[in-house]
Amino acid sequence: MITDGSTHAGVHTALATARPIRARLAWTVSVFGLLAAATCVLAPLVGSTPISLRRALDPSLPFASNVDAQILFIARLPRVLAGALVGASLASSGVVFQALLRNPLATPFTLGVSAGASLGAMLVIILGGTIAVGPWSPVPAASLAGAAVAAAIVYALANGPRRAMSTTVLLLAGVTLNAFFSALILFVQYLADFAEVYRATRWLMGDLDVGGFAPILGALPLLVGSAVIFAVLPSSLNLMGVDPDSASSRGVDVAATQRWAFISASLATSAAVALAGPIGFVGIVVPHLVRLLVGVDHRIVLPASALFGATFLVACDLVARTLLAPVEMPVGVVTAIIGGPFFLWLLVREG
Amino acid sequence: MAARARRLVPWNRISWPALRLGVAVLMGLAAVAAGCGEAAPPPDKARRIVSLVPAVTEMLFAIGAGPQIVGVSSYDHFPPEVEALPKVGALLDPDTERILSLRPDLVVVYGSQTDVDAHFKKAGIRTFNYRHGANGAILATLDTITALGAATGHDAQAREVVTRVTTGLDTVRTRVAGLDRPRTLLVMGRQPGTLQGVYAAGGVGFLHEMLGVAGGANVFDDVQRESVQPSTETLLTRAPDAVLELHATAPAGNYPGGELAVWDKLASIPAVRNRRVYSLVGDFVVVAGPRLAEGAEAMARALHPEAFK
Amino acid sequence: MPLAASTYLVAHELSYAYPYRGRARSVPAVSGISLAVARGSFTGLLGPNGCGKTTLLKLMAGVLSPAAGSVTLEGRVLADLPRRVAARHVAVVPQDTHPAFDYTALEIVLMGRHPHLRAMQLEGPGDLAIAHESLEATGTLHLAHRPFTSLSGGERQRVVIASALAQQPDLLLLDEPTASLDLRYQLEVAALLRRLSREHDVTMVMATHDLNLAASMCDSLALIRNGRLLGHGPTNEVLTADTVRQLYDVDADVRFHAEAGHLTVTPVRRAG
Repeated sequence: MITDGSTHAGVHTALATARPIRARLAWTVSVFGLLAAATCVLAPLVGSTPISLRRALDPSLPFASNVDAQILFIARLPRVLAGALVGASLASSGVVFQALLRNPLATPFTLGVSAGASLGAMLVIILGGTIAVGPWSPVPAASLAGAAVAAAIVYALANGPRRAMSTTVLLLAGVTLNAFFSALILFVQYLADFAEVYRATRWLMGDLDVGGFAPILGALPLLVGSAVIFAVLPSSLNLMGVDPDSASSRGVDVAATQRWAFISASLATSAAVALAGPIGFVGIVVPHLVRLLVGVDHRIVLPASALFGATFLVACDLVARTLLAPVEMPVGVVTAIIGGPFFLWLLVREG
Repeated sequence: MAARARRLVPWNRISWPALRLGVAVLMGLAAVAAGCGEAAPPPDKARRIVSLVPAVTEMLFAIGAGPQIVGVSSYDHFPPEVEALPKVGALLDPDTERILSLRPDLVVVYGSQTDVDAHFKKAGIRTFNYRHGANGAILATLDTITALGAATGHDAQAREVVTRVTTGLDTVRTRVAGLDRPRTLLVMGRQPGTLQGVYAAGGVGFLHEMLGVAGGANVFDDVQRESVQPSTETLLTRAPDAVLELHATAPAGNYPGGELAVWDKLASIPAVRNRRVYSLVGDFVVVAGPRLAEGAEAMARALHPEAFK
Repeated sequence: MPLAASTYLVAHELSYAYPYRGRARSVPAVSGISLAVARGSFTGLLGPNGCGKTTLLKLMAGVLSPAAGSVTLEGRVLADLPRRVAARHVAVVPQDTHPAFDYTALEIVLMGRHPHLRAMQLEGPGDLAIAHESLEATGTLHLAHRPFTSLSGGERQRVVIASALAQQPDLLLLDEPTASLDLRYQLEVAALLRRLSREHDVTMVMATHDLNLAASMCDSLALIRNGRLLGHGPTNEVLTADTVRQLYDVDADVRFHAEAGHLTVTPVRRAG
C-alpha cells in the first residue's frame, strides 16, 4: 500500500530535509540566532514605563538621577537576560527529555524535577528558612536542593548496572514523584500562614524579575555545564530515536547517552526552575514548533530550540509586563495562555 | 438530605403555586434569620469565648474579657497569657471538634468562614463575624472593639480602650503635623535575602492609614487595593523616599551587611541613597488591634526621628 | 579450529543468559554455541521462536556481551574493538523499526554513516553519495524525502536495509527481516537480499524461523534449538526431514523444487 506521505509530517520548509545538513544547520542557527538577538535587544527598551534610550545611555547624566538608565540596567536588563537563559534551558531540556523518553509529548517537568524544586521552595517560604548559599538566596537554594533530590531518586530507580535505562521505569518513577511531591506541596501550604501561602502561590507562577544579576550568575555555571553536555548528545539521540539496538550496533553507548541526557536535562531544568520558578509550556511548545519548521534531526532541533526558547520566553515576559500595565501578569500565565491552545491545535491536527 | 426527600415526592402531583409560596416563605425566614445573626446582639454576656482571629484576641484581653477566653487561634502570640490557652486552628483549618469540646458560648470567626459560621449557628452557639475592614480600617477596628465590649459585657472598658487608642493616634498625628511627608514604601513581605516577591501596602487598609497617621505618604497611594506586588521596574519608577519593612517576628538569617543590605541593589532610589530604609519588628505593627497607636508611633519614629527627641 | 582464509566471523563457545530481577536463576538463552561464518556466504540461523537465534545475532553484533566465550572478526576479538570500529564492519537490520520521531528515509539512511564520522562531524557530500547509492541499491531512492512512518512495510524494510548498507559493512546481520511483511514484500526483500549478497560481497547472517525463506536464500544453515546448536553446514546437506523434525517436532516433506531453484519444506503433520 503506497501512502501519500507529503502532508503527514507537517510543513517542511526551506530549512528542512532537502538540503545537506551543514547548510541547514548554518541557516537555522543564523535565522534563529538573529531572531533571539533582536528580541533580546528590543525587549529592554519596552515596558510599563516609557524610557528613552538616548537618555539612558547618556554618560553625562549621573546614574543616581537618571531614571531611564536605572530602569534599563537594573530592572530590565537582568530580567531579559534571565528570560533568555531560562527560556533556552527549558526548551533544550525539553528536547532532550523528549528524546530520552522517546516521546514528543514529554516536558522538562515530566520526571518530577520541577515538583522537587517547587517543594524545596515551598518549605523555605513556609517554614521560614534563611540559609543562603553564595549568590543563591534561600528560596532558590532550597529549590535547587529539592530538584537535585527528585532527580537523584528517579535516576537511582531507573538505573541499573551497565544496562540501559528503562524508559518505562523512568516515566513511572517521574510521574509518581510528581504526584507525591505535589501532594506534599499542598500539605505544606495547608499548614502555612495566609501570607506565606500567597507568597508560595506567587512563586509557583514563575517570575523572571530575579532581583539583579547575582542570581543569574549563580545559575550560570549549571546552565553552561548542561549546555556543554547538550552539545555532544544530538547525533546519538538521533540514532536512539530510530532504534536503540541499532544505535548500539552503530557505535552509540546507549546507556551512557541516556545517563548524560538525564543528568544534563535535569541540571538545566533545576537551574531554570530554581532561578525563576516553574514556567510551563516553554519546554513543549518550543520544541514542537521548531520541529514543524526544521524537521526532527536533533543536531538542528536542539540549538534551534534553545535559541527560539530564549526568544519565546523573553517575548512572553514582555507581554506579561506590558499588557495590563501597571499590573503585571505572571509569565507562567502568559506561556500557558499561548501554549495551551497551541497544544490543543497540535493534538487536533495529529488526530 | 433535602434531595432525598425530593425524590420521594411525586413530581406530577405537586401544585406549582403552592411550591412557589413555600419557597417564598422559606426565603423570608432565611432573610430574617440572617438579619438576626448580624444585627441585634443577644442579651447575655459571653462567658466562654473562642477566638479564631488574633487581632480580636488582643482586643478581648484589652477590654478585660481575657478571663472569659477558653480557646485561641494557632497564630495567637499576644498577650503572653494566650500561650497557656488551647489552640484551635485558624482561617483555613479551624478544628470545629476542638472548639465544640471547649463548650463556648461565643466564637469569633472570620467573615469569610461562612461554613464554619453556619456550623456553630446550627449548634446554637453565638458567633461574632470579624470583617477585615478595608475602607476606614482604623475606624472599623475601633468599631469592632466597641461591638466586642457589648457582646461580652465589658462596654465600659471597651470605651476606655477606644479612647486610649484614639488619643494615642492623635498624639502621633500632632507630633508629625507640619513636617514633610516622605513618599514611603511600606513593605509587608518579600522573599528572604533578595528583592524578589516584594509585597507592599496599597492605598487602602489599616497599614496605609497608619502610615498616614505617622506622617508618611504611601508611594502606592493611587492603587485602590490593600496589597501591591511591585516589580523592580515599578520600584525604580516610583522612587520612594523611605522604605519601611514590617516584620511580625525578627527575620533570622545572617546576611553580610544585614537583611536590609538587599536594598543596595536599588542604590539609585532616594530611600537607599539617603539611608532611609528601616525594619520594624513586632506584631503590633501588623495586627489591626488595640496597639494601633503603638504601631503608628513606631512608624513615625522611623520616618521622623527628629519629632521624638 | 584452524582459521580458514575465507572465514569472516568465528563464534566460540558463546553463552548468554538474560538477567531476570527477583529470580534466583537467570534464564539461559544461548549455551555453548560455536560457529564459523565464511566470507561472502549467506548463513541462516534457523530455529523456532525463542530458540536463541536473536540473542546469538545480538552477540555477533556486539550489542550483548557474552557471559562466556567470544566472537572474533577476522581474528580480532569483538569485545576488544571500540564500538565505532566494530560498527564499521558489522551492521544490523532489526525485525522492525519504530522511530520515535518523524525522520525521512534519507535521514535514516544517513545515520548509517555514523560509525565512519568523527565525534562531532556532520555528514559531507561523500556520505550523501553513499546514502544515495544505498537507497538506489534497494530501489528506494524515490522515497528519500518521504517520512519513514508514511512508507509501507516493504518500503520500510528496504530503507532500513539501505541504512545498514550505508554503513559499508563487511557483515550484515538480519533479524527476521521479512517476518512482519506481506507475501509480496517478503519476496521483494528476499530477492533484494540475494542480489546484494551476490553483487556487493557482503557476508550475511539471517535469523529466521521461516524454513522456506531460509532454504531459498541461505547457502548455509545453523540449526538452533533451546540455545544449542543442532547442526551447521551447507543448506542442501543440513536441511532434511530429520533435522526439521528435531527442530520443530513436525514431519515435513523436504524436496528440491526445480522451478524455484532451491529446497522447499512442506509441513505434513505434527510429529510424535
